[in-house]
Amino acid sequence: MQDLGDTTTVVWNDALEAIERCYELGWGDGLPLVPPTAGRVAQFLEASGKSSGEVIGEIPERRREITAGKVAANAVMAGCLPEYMPVVLAATEAMLAPPFNLVGPSSSMGGSAVLVIVNGPIAEKIGVNSRNNLFGPGNRANATIGRAVRLILMNACAAIPGLFDRSVIGHPGKYTYCIAEAETETHWNPLHVERGFKPEQSAVTVFASESPRQVRSVGRPEAILHSVADAASSLGTNMSTSGSVGNPEAGVRQGEIVVTVAGNSALWKDWTKKQVRDFLHERIRRSVADLKRAQVFPGEIESGDEESYVSLIPEPEDILLVFAGGEESNMSSVIPSWGPKVGSMAVTKEVK
Amino acid sequence: MTQKNEYVLVDPTTQAIVAPFNGAPRLPTLAGARIGIIDDSKRNADVLLQELAEVLRNRYEIADVQWHRKPSASRAADPAAIKELAASCDAVVIAIGD
Repeated sequence: MQDLGDTTTVVWNDALEAIERCYELGWGDGLPLVPPTAGRVAQFLEASGKSSGEVIGEIPERRREITAGKVAANAVMAGCLPEYMPVVLAATEAMLAPPFNLVGPSSSMGGSAVLVIVNGPIAEKIGVNSRNNLFGPGNRANATIGRAVRLILMNACAAIPGLFDRSVIGHPGKYTYCIAEAETETHWNPLHVERGFKPEQSAVTVFASESPRQVRSVGRPEAILHSVADAASSLGTNMSTSGSVGNPEAGVRQGEIVVTVAGNSALWKDWTKKQVRDFLHERIRRSVADLKRAQVFPGEIESGDEESYVSLIPEPEDILLVFAGGEESNMSSVIPSWGPKVGSMAVTKEVK
Repeated sequence: MTQKNEYVLVDPTTQAIVAPFNGAPRLPTLAGARIGIIDDSKRNADVLLQELAEVLRNRYEIADVQWHRKPSASRAADPAAIKELAASCDAVVIAIGD
Protein backbone atom coordinates (compact mmCIF):
# COMPACT_ATOMS: atom_id res chain seq x y z
CA MET A 1 0.00 0.00 0.00
CA GLN A 2 1.27 3.50 -0.80
CA ASP A 3 2.34 5.92 1.92
CA LEU A 4 -0.85 7.61 3.11
CA GLY A 5 0.81 10.29 5.23
CA ASP A 6 0.14 10.70 8.95
CA THR A 7 -1.96 7.97 10.52
CA THR A 8 -3.30 7.16 13.92
CA THR A 9 -4.21 3.76 15.32
CA VAL A 10 -7.51 3.39 17.12
CA VAL A 11 -9.38 0.50 18.64
CA TRP A 12 -13.07 -0.23 18.52
CA ASN A 13 -15.24 -3.27 18.99
CA ASP A 14 -18.44 -2.30 17.25
CA ALA A 15 -19.89 0.31 14.93
CA LEU A 16 -21.06 2.63 17.70
CA GLU A 17 -17.61 2.66 19.27
CA ALA A 18 -16.09 3.43 15.86
CA ILE A 19 -18.36 6.45 15.54
CA GLU A 20 -17.46 7.63 19.03
CA ARG A 21 -13.70 7.25 18.37
CA CYS A 22 -14.12 9.51 15.34
CA TYR A 23 -15.94 12.13 17.42
CA GLU A 24 -13.07 12.02 19.93
CA LEU A 25 -10.54 12.71 17.17
CA GLY A 26 -12.30 16.02 16.43
CA TRP A 27 -12.37 15.61 12.69
CA GLY A 28 -16.06 16.16 12.19
CA ASP A 29 -18.88 18.52 11.35
CA GLY A 30 -21.02 17.27 14.23
CA LEU A 31 -22.59 14.35 12.38
CA PRO A 32 -21.30 10.77 12.55
CA LEU A 33 -18.32 10.05 10.31
CA VAL A 34 -17.23 7.03 8.33
CA PRO A 35 -13.81 6.11 9.79
CA PRO A 36 -11.07 6.95 7.25
CA THR A 37 -9.36 3.58 7.47
CA ALA A 38 -6.15 3.16 5.48
CA GLY A 39 -7.77 0.51 3.28
CA ARG A 40 -10.75 2.67 2.38
CA VAL A 41 -8.61 5.76 1.70
CA ALA A 42 -6.31 3.69 -0.55
CA GLN A 43 -9.37 2.46 -2.44
CA PHE A 44 -10.50 6.08 -3.02
CA LEU A 45 -7.05 7.09 -4.24
CA GLU A 46 -6.97 4.14 -6.61
CA ALA A 47 -10.34 5.19 -8.03
CA SER A 48 -8.97 8.68 -8.64
CA GLY A 49 -5.69 7.51 -10.17
CA LYS A 50 -3.77 9.86 -7.88
CA SER A 51 -0.99 9.25 -5.41
CA SER A 52 -1.53 10.32 -1.82
CA GLY A 53 1.11 13.03 -1.92
CA GLU A 54 -0.03 14.74 -5.11
CA VAL A 55 -0.74 18.39 -4.33
CA ILE A 56 -4.20 19.47 -5.52
CA GLY A 57 -3.81 23.07 -4.40
CA GLU A 58 -2.76 25.27 -1.55
CA ILE A 59 -4.11 27.92 0.75
CA PRO A 60 -1.00 30.10 1.03
CA GLU A 61 -2.35 32.45 3.71
CA ARG A 62 -2.65 29.46 6.05
CA ARG A 63 0.60 27.89 4.78
CA ARG A 64 -1.11 24.64 3.88
CA GLU A 65 -0.93 22.26 0.94
CA ILE A 66 -3.90 20.03 0.20
CA THR A 67 -2.95 16.64 -1.20
CA ALA A 68 -5.03 13.93 -2.87
CA GLY A 69 -4.57 11.81 0.26
CA LYS A 70 -6.22 14.46 2.44
CA VAL A 71 -9.05 14.85 -0.07
CA ALA A 72 -9.58 11.07 -0.06
CA ALA A 73 -9.59 10.80 3.74
CA ASN A 74 -12.22 13.53 4.03
CA ALA A 75 -14.30 12.07 1.19
CA VAL A 76 -14.31 8.71 2.98
CA MET A 77 -15.40 10.37 6.23
CA ALA A 78 -18.22 12.20 4.43
CA GLY A 79 -19.68 8.89 3.24
CA CYS A 80 -18.73 9.26 -0.44
CA LEU A 81 -18.32 6.33 -2.80
CA PRO A 82 -14.94 5.91 -4.55
CA GLU A 83 -16.46 6.96 -7.89
CA TYR A 84 -17.29 10.39 -6.46
CA MET A 85 -13.60 11.18 -6.05
CA PRO A 86 -13.08 12.91 -9.43
CA VAL A 87 -15.88 15.35 -8.54
CA VAL A 88 -14.54 16.01 -5.04
CA LEU A 89 -11.05 16.53 -6.46
CA ALA A 90 -12.29 18.97 -9.12
CA ALA A 91 -14.26 20.90 -6.48
CA THR A 92 -11.14 21.07 -4.29
CA GLU A 93 -8.97 22.23 -7.17
CA ALA A 94 -11.56 24.86 -8.06
CA MET A 95 -11.91 26.31 -4.57
CA LEU A 96 -8.13 26.47 -4.19
CA ALA A 97 -7.74 28.40 -7.48
CA PRO A 98 -6.56 32.00 -6.86
CA PRO A 99 -9.75 33.76 -8.19
CA PHE A 100 -11.80 31.92 -5.57
CA ASN A 101 -9.57 33.36 -2.82
CA LEU A 102 -10.63 30.68 -0.34
CA VAL A 103 -9.11 32.50 2.63
CA GLY A 104 -11.82 35.16 2.29
CA PRO A 105 -15.08 33.21 2.13
CA SER A 106 -13.81 30.51 4.52
CA SER A 107 -12.99 32.98 7.29
CA SER A 108 -15.43 35.86 6.84
CA MET A 109 -18.19 36.91 9.22
CA GLY A 110 -20.35 36.81 6.07
CA GLY A 111 -20.81 33.11 6.62
CA SER A 112 -20.80 31.67 3.14
CA ALA A 113 -20.82 28.04 2.11
CA VAL A 114 -19.22 26.62 -1.01
CA LEU A 115 -21.97 25.70 -3.45
CA VAL A 116 -20.87 22.88 -5.78
CA ILE A 117 -22.61 22.66 -9.18
CA VAL A 118 -21.94 19.51 -11.20
CA ASN A 119 -22.32 19.52 -14.98
CA GLY A 120 -21.71 17.02 -17.77
CA PRO A 121 -22.04 13.24 -18.07
CA ILE A 122 -20.53 12.52 -14.64
CA ALA A 123 -23.64 13.91 -12.93
CA GLU A 124 -25.86 11.20 -14.35
CA LYS A 125 -23.17 8.54 -14.07
CA ILE A 126 -22.76 8.92 -10.31
CA GLY A 127 -26.33 10.07 -9.68
CA VAL A 128 -26.08 13.73 -8.62
CA ASN A 129 -29.65 14.96 -8.21
CA SER A 130 -30.78 17.92 -10.28
CA ARG A 131 -34.52 17.65 -9.78
CA ASN A 132 -37.04 17.29 -6.92
CA ASN A 133 -35.63 18.42 -3.56
CA LEU A 134 -32.68 20.02 -5.33
CA PHE A 135 -31.14 21.40 -2.13
CA GLY A 136 -32.90 18.90 0.09
CA PRO A 137 -32.02 15.53 1.55
CA GLY A 138 -32.27 12.02 0.21
CA ASN A 139 -29.53 11.62 -2.35
CA ARG A 140 -26.15 10.15 -1.46
CA ALA A 141 -24.02 11.86 -4.11
CA ASN A 142 -25.32 15.36 -3.35
CA ALA A 143 -25.23 14.84 0.41
CA THR A 144 -21.76 13.34 0.63
CA ILE A 145 -19.93 15.34 -2.07
CA GLY A 146 -21.09 18.58 -0.47
CA ARG A 147 -20.19 17.26 2.96
CA ALA A 148 -16.74 16.16 1.72
CA VAL A 149 -16.10 19.73 0.55
CA ARG A 150 -17.00 21.05 4.01
CA LEU A 151 -14.79 18.47 5.78
CA ILE A 152 -11.90 19.36 3.44
CA LEU A 153 -12.44 23.02 4.35
CA MET A 154 -12.44 22.26 8.07
CA ASN A 155 -9.75 19.60 8.30
CA ALA A 156 -7.38 20.33 5.42
CA CYS A 157 -7.91 24.09 4.99
CA ALA A 158 -8.22 24.85 8.72
CA ALA A 159 -11.58 26.62 8.31
CA ILE A 160 -12.54 25.57 11.83
CA PRO A 161 -15.60 27.28 13.32
CA GLY A 162 -14.54 29.72 16.01
CA LEU A 163 -10.90 29.63 14.89
CA PHE A 164 -10.36 30.68 11.26
CA ASP A 165 -14.05 30.44 10.35
CA ARG A 166 -15.60 33.55 11.94
CA SER A 167 -19.13 33.24 10.46
CA VAL A 168 -21.64 35.15 12.55
CA ILE A 169 -24.60 32.89 11.74
CA GLY A 170 -23.33 30.47 9.05
CA HIS A 171 -26.02 28.58 7.13
CA PRO A 172 -27.29 25.03 6.60
CA GLY A 173 -25.43 24.77 3.29
CA LYS A 174 -22.24 24.61 5.33
CA TYR A 175 -23.09 20.98 6.12
CA THR A 176 -23.54 20.10 2.47
CA TYR A 177 -24.31 22.14 -0.66
CA CYS A 178 -24.11 20.24 -3.93
CA ILE A 179 -26.44 20.17 -6.93
CA ALA A 180 -26.40 19.23 -10.60
CA GLU A 181 -27.99 20.98 -13.56
CA ALA A 182 -30.85 19.11 -15.29
CA GLU A 183 -29.08 19.78 -18.55
CA THR A 184 -30.62 16.94 -20.55
CA GLU A 185 -34.06 18.37 -19.83
CA THR A 186 -33.58 21.88 -21.16
CA HIS A 187 -32.72 23.50 -24.47
CA TRP A 188 -30.46 25.91 -22.59
CA ASN A 189 -26.70 25.54 -22.75
CA PRO A 190 -25.46 24.01 -19.51
CA LEU A 191 -23.49 26.19 -17.13
CA HIS A 192 -20.14 24.55 -17.91
CA VAL A 193 -20.63 25.07 -21.65
CA GLU A 194 -21.32 28.74 -21.04
CA ARG A 195 -18.11 28.81 -19.07
CA GLY A 196 -15.98 27.40 -21.88
CA PHE A 197 -16.23 23.62 -21.63
CA LYS A 198 -17.62 21.14 -24.15
CA PRO A 199 -20.98 19.46 -23.51
CA GLU A 200 -19.31 16.04 -23.35
CA GLN A 201 -16.86 17.23 -20.70
CA SER A 202 -17.79 17.08 -17.05
CA ALA A 203 -17.07 20.05 -14.83
CA VAL A 204 -17.61 21.36 -11.34
CA THR A 205 -18.35 25.00 -10.52
CA VAL A 206 -17.80 26.27 -6.98
CA PHE A 207 -19.41 29.44 -5.69
CA ALA A 208 -18.95 31.07 -2.27
CA SER A 209 -22.48 32.02 -1.42
CA GLU A 210 -25.35 32.62 0.89
CA SER A 211 -28.13 30.08 1.38
CA PRO A 212 -30.70 29.65 -1.41
CA ARG A 213 -33.71 31.92 -1.13
CA GLN A 214 -36.76 30.16 -2.58
CA VAL A 215 -38.74 32.31 -4.99
CA ARG A 216 -42.35 31.22 -5.34
CA SER A 217 -43.85 32.45 -8.57
CA VAL A 218 -45.77 30.80 -11.34
CA GLY A 219 -47.00 32.03 -14.67
CA ARG A 220 -45.30 33.47 -17.70
CA PRO A 221 -41.50 33.60 -17.71
CA GLU A 222 -41.62 37.38 -17.23
CA ALA A 223 -43.69 36.94 -14.07
CA ILE A 224 -41.25 34.43 -12.64
CA LEU A 225 -38.28 36.63 -13.51
CA HIS A 226 -39.88 39.70 -11.90
CA SER A 227 -40.15 37.78 -8.64
CA VAL A 228 -36.60 36.43 -8.96
CA ALA A 229 -35.30 39.96 -9.55
CA ASP A 230 -37.26 41.29 -6.59
CA ALA A 231 -35.89 38.62 -4.23
CA ALA A 232 -32.36 39.21 -5.54
CA SER A 233 -32.72 42.95 -4.94
CA SER A 234 -33.28 42.59 -1.18
CA LEU A 235 -31.65 44.85 1.32
CA GLY A 236 -29.51 42.82 3.68
CA THR A 237 -27.75 40.57 1.22
CA ASN A 238 -24.00 40.61 0.85
CA MET A 239 -24.51 42.26 -2.54
CA SER A 240 -26.49 45.22 -1.20
CA THR A 241 -24.13 46.06 1.66
CA SER A 242 -21.59 48.86 1.59
CA GLY A 243 -19.03 46.87 3.59
CA SER A 244 -15.96 45.64 1.66
CA VAL A 245 -17.09 47.12 -1.61
CA GLY A 246 -15.25 45.74 -4.63
CA ASN A 247 -15.76 48.65 -6.99
CA PRO A 248 -15.87 51.98 -5.08
CA GLU A 249 -17.84 53.62 -7.91
CA ALA A 250 -20.68 51.13 -7.42
CA GLY A 251 -21.13 52.13 -3.79
CA VAL A 252 -22.49 48.70 -2.86
CA ARG A 253 -20.54 45.47 -2.73
CA GLN A 254 -22.20 43.81 -5.77
CA GLY A 255 -21.21 40.29 -6.81
CA GLU A 256 -22.15 37.26 -8.82
CA ILE A 257 -25.41 35.41 -8.24
CA VAL A 258 -26.69 31.91 -8.97
CA VAL A 259 -30.31 31.64 -10.11
CA THR A 260 -31.97 28.24 -10.38
CA VAL A 261 -35.05 27.83 -12.53
CA ALA A 262 -37.11 24.64 -12.16
CA GLY A 263 -39.93 23.05 -14.07
CA ASN A 264 -40.59 22.24 -17.67
CA SER A 265 -38.23 23.60 -20.27
CA ALA A 266 -41.14 24.21 -22.68
CA LEU A 267 -42.18 27.22 -20.61
CA TRP A 268 -38.86 28.85 -21.56
CA LYS A 269 -38.87 27.88 -25.23
CA ASP A 270 -38.76 31.50 -26.38
CA TRP A 271 -35.96 32.46 -24.00
CA THR A 272 -32.22 31.91 -24.11
CA LYS A 273 -30.08 32.03 -20.99
CA LYS A 274 -28.65 35.31 -22.25
CA GLN A 275 -32.10 36.85 -22.53
CA VAL A 276 -32.91 35.75 -19.00
CA ARG A 277 -29.66 37.25 -17.70
CA ASP A 278 -30.24 40.56 -19.49
CA PHE A 279 -33.80 40.75 -18.17
CA LEU A 280 -32.66 40.07 -14.60
CA HIS A 281 -29.57 42.27 -14.65
CA GLU A 282 -31.64 45.31 -15.53
CA ARG A 283 -33.95 44.66 -12.58
CA ILE A 284 -31.65 43.47 -9.79
CA ARG A 285 -31.12 46.88 -8.27
CA ARG A 286 -32.14 49.07 -5.36
CA SER A 287 -33.07 52.72 -5.11
CA VAL A 288 -30.68 55.19 -3.53
CA ALA A 289 -33.54 56.13 -1.17
CA ASP A 290 -33.88 52.55 0.09
CA LEU A 291 -30.12 52.24 0.46
CA LYS A 292 -30.13 55.44 2.53
CA ARG A 293 -33.01 54.20 4.72
CA ALA A 294 -30.95 51.12 5.48
CA GLN A 295 -27.85 53.28 6.07
CA VAL A 296 -26.03 51.45 3.31
CA PHE A 297 -25.47 54.92 1.90
CA PRO A 298 -24.95 57.88 4.23
CA GLY A 299 -27.03 61.02 4.25
CA GLU A 300 -30.64 62.16 4.16
CA ILE A 301 -32.96 61.21 1.33
CA GLU A 302 -33.02 63.89 -1.34
CA SER A 303 -35.27 64.52 -4.29
CA GLY A 304 -34.52 62.07 -7.04
CA ASP A 305 -33.26 59.34 -4.68
CA GLU A 306 -36.49 57.33 -5.02
CA GLU A 307 -36.01 57.18 -8.80
CA SER A 308 -32.24 56.70 -8.81
CA TYR A 309 -31.12 53.05 -8.81
CA VAL A 310 -27.93 51.16 -8.04
CA SER A 311 -27.26 47.83 -9.75
CA LEU A 312 -26.41 44.96 -7.38
CA ILE A 313 -24.68 42.85 -10.05
CA PRO A 314 -21.79 44.17 -12.15
CA GLU A 315 -22.64 42.57 -15.52
CA PRO A 316 -25.33 40.24 -16.94
CA GLU A 317 -22.61 37.56 -17.27
CA ASP A 318 -22.29 37.58 -13.48
CA ILE A 319 -25.66 35.82 -13.25
CA LEU A 320 -25.03 32.06 -13.25
CA LEU A 321 -28.26 30.55 -14.51
CA VAL A 322 -28.92 26.88 -13.75
CA PHE A 323 -31.91 24.82 -14.88
CA ALA A 324 -32.61 22.65 -11.86
CA GLY A 325 -35.30 21.73 -9.34
CA GLY A 326 -38.54 19.75 -9.49
CA GLU A 327 -40.72 19.40 -12.53
CA GLU A 328 -43.03 22.18 -11.38
CA SER A 329 -42.01 25.65 -12.50
CA ASN A 330 -43.31 27.50 -9.44
CA MET A 331 -40.12 27.46 -7.36
CA SER A 332 -36.96 29.20 -8.41
CA SER A 333 -34.10 30.28 -6.18
CA VAL A 334 -31.63 33.08 -5.84
CA ILE A 335 -28.23 32.54 -4.26
CA PRO A 336 -26.25 35.74 -3.67
CA SER A 337 -22.50 35.75 -3.66
CA TRP A 338 -20.55 36.01 -0.43
CA GLY A 339 -18.39 38.83 -1.69
CA PRO A 340 -17.52 41.23 -4.48
CA LYS A 341 -15.81 39.65 -7.46
CA VAL A 342 -12.43 40.95 -6.34
CA GLY A 343 -12.99 39.00 -3.09
CA SER A 344 -14.16 35.74 -4.65
CA MET A 345 -15.38 34.55 -8.02
CA ALA A 346 -17.06 31.33 -9.11
CA VAL A 347 -14.51 28.91 -10.55
CA THR A 348 -15.15 25.98 -12.90
CA LYS A 349 -12.76 23.03 -13.28
CA GLU A 350 -12.96 19.97 -15.45
CA VAL A 351 -13.68 16.61 -13.81
CA LYS A 352 -10.88 14.33 -14.97
CA MET B 1 -8.32 -6.41 22.77
CA THR B 2 -7.59 -8.53 19.75
CA GLN B 3 -5.54 -7.51 16.74
CA LYS B 4 -8.55 -7.37 14.42
CA ASN B 5 -10.12 -4.52 16.41
CA GLU B 6 -7.19 -2.20 15.81
CA TYR B 7 -7.62 0.16 12.90
CA VAL B 8 -5.23 2.52 11.17
CA LEU B 9 -6.91 5.81 10.29
CA VAL B 10 -5.53 8.35 7.83
CA ASP B 11 -5.23 11.80 9.39
CA PRO B 12 -7.48 14.13 7.32
CA THR B 13 -5.97 17.31 8.77
CA THR B 14 -2.97 19.36 7.59
CA GLN B 15 -0.29 21.28 9.42
CA ALA B 16 0.95 24.73 8.50
CA ILE B 17 4.29 24.65 6.69
CA VAL B 18 6.10 27.72 7.99
CA ALA B 19 9.60 28.49 6.75
CA PRO B 20 11.90 29.74 9.52
CA PHE B 21 12.46 33.50 9.46
CA ASN B 22 14.01 36.19 11.59
CA GLY B 23 11.77 39.12 12.44
CA ALA B 24 13.14 42.62 11.85
CA PRO B 25 14.68 44.26 14.92
CA ARG B 26 12.58 46.82 16.77
CA LEU B 27 13.18 50.40 15.64
CA PRO B 28 15.28 52.28 18.23
CA THR B 29 13.17 55.41 17.65
CA LEU B 30 10.24 56.52 15.49
CA ALA B 31 11.75 59.99 15.01
CA GLY B 32 12.61 60.42 11.35
CA ALA B 33 11.25 56.98 10.46
CA ARG B 34 9.50 56.30 7.17
CA ILE B 35 6.22 54.55 8.00
CA GLY B 36 4.11 52.51 5.62
CA ILE B 37 0.41 51.96 6.16
CA ILE B 38 -1.69 49.20 4.63
CA ASP B 39 -5.37 50.12 4.56
CA ASP B 40 -7.43 46.93 4.25
CA SER B 41 -10.29 48.91 2.59
CA LYS B 42 -12.86 48.04 5.23
CA ARG B 43 -15.24 50.85 6.11
CA ASN B 44 -13.57 53.56 8.25
CA ALA B 45 -10.16 51.89 8.10
CA ASP B 46 -8.90 55.00 6.27
CA VAL B 47 -10.35 57.31 8.94
CA LEU B 48 -8.68 55.39 11.76
CA LEU B 49 -5.35 55.05 9.97
CA GLN B 50 -5.23 58.72 8.94
CA GLU B 51 -5.69 59.65 12.57
CA LEU B 52 -2.94 57.21 13.51
CA ALA B 53 -0.64 58.80 10.93
CA GLU B 54 -1.35 62.23 12.44
CA VAL B 55 -0.48 60.97 15.92
CA LEU B 56 2.73 59.44 14.62
CA ARG B 57 3.64 62.69 12.86
CA ASN B 58 2.82 65.02 15.73
CA ARG B 59 3.85 62.97 18.72
CA TYR B 60 6.72 60.90 17.36
CA GLU B 61 7.95 63.06 14.49
CA ILE B 62 8.03 60.41 11.85
CA ALA B 63 9.44 61.59 8.54
CA ASP B 64 7.03 60.25 6.02
CA VAL B 65 3.93 58.08 5.46
CA GLN B 66 3.48 55.81 2.49
CA TRP B 67 -0.08 54.58 1.95
CA HIS B 68 -1.23 51.34 0.32
CA ARG B 69 -4.92 50.51 0.02
CA LYS B 70 -5.87 46.90 -0.73
CA PRO B 71 -8.65 46.43 -3.31
CA SER B 72 -10.32 43.89 -1.04
CA ALA B 73 -10.01 43.28 2.67
CA SER B 74 -10.30 39.57 1.96
CA ARG B 75 -7.27 39.38 -0.28
CA ALA B 76 -3.68 39.24 0.85
CA ALA B 77 -1.74 42.40 -0.01
CA ASP B 78 -0.19 42.41 -3.47
CA PRO B 79 3.36 40.97 -3.17
CA ALA B 80 4.71 43.79 -5.37
CA ALA B 81 3.24 46.39 -2.98
CA ILE B 82 4.74 44.58 0.02
CA LYS B 83 8.12 44.54 -1.69
CA GLU B 84 7.90 48.25 -2.44
CA LEU B 85 6.89 49.09 1.13
CA ALA B 86 9.67 46.90 2.52
CA ALA B 87 12.20 48.74 0.36
CA SER B 88 11.06 52.27 1.11
CA CYS B 89 9.86 52.13 4.74
CA ASP B 90 11.46 51.50 8.11
CA ALA B 91 8.24 50.04 9.51
CA VAL B 92 4.75 49.23 8.24
CA VAL B 93 1.48 49.32 10.15
CA ILE B 94 -1.12 46.78 9.11
CA ALA B 95 -4.49 46.35 10.72
CA ILE B 96 -7.86 44.78 10.12
CA GLY B 97 -10.60 47.33 10.53
CA ASP B 98 -14.37 46.90 10.40
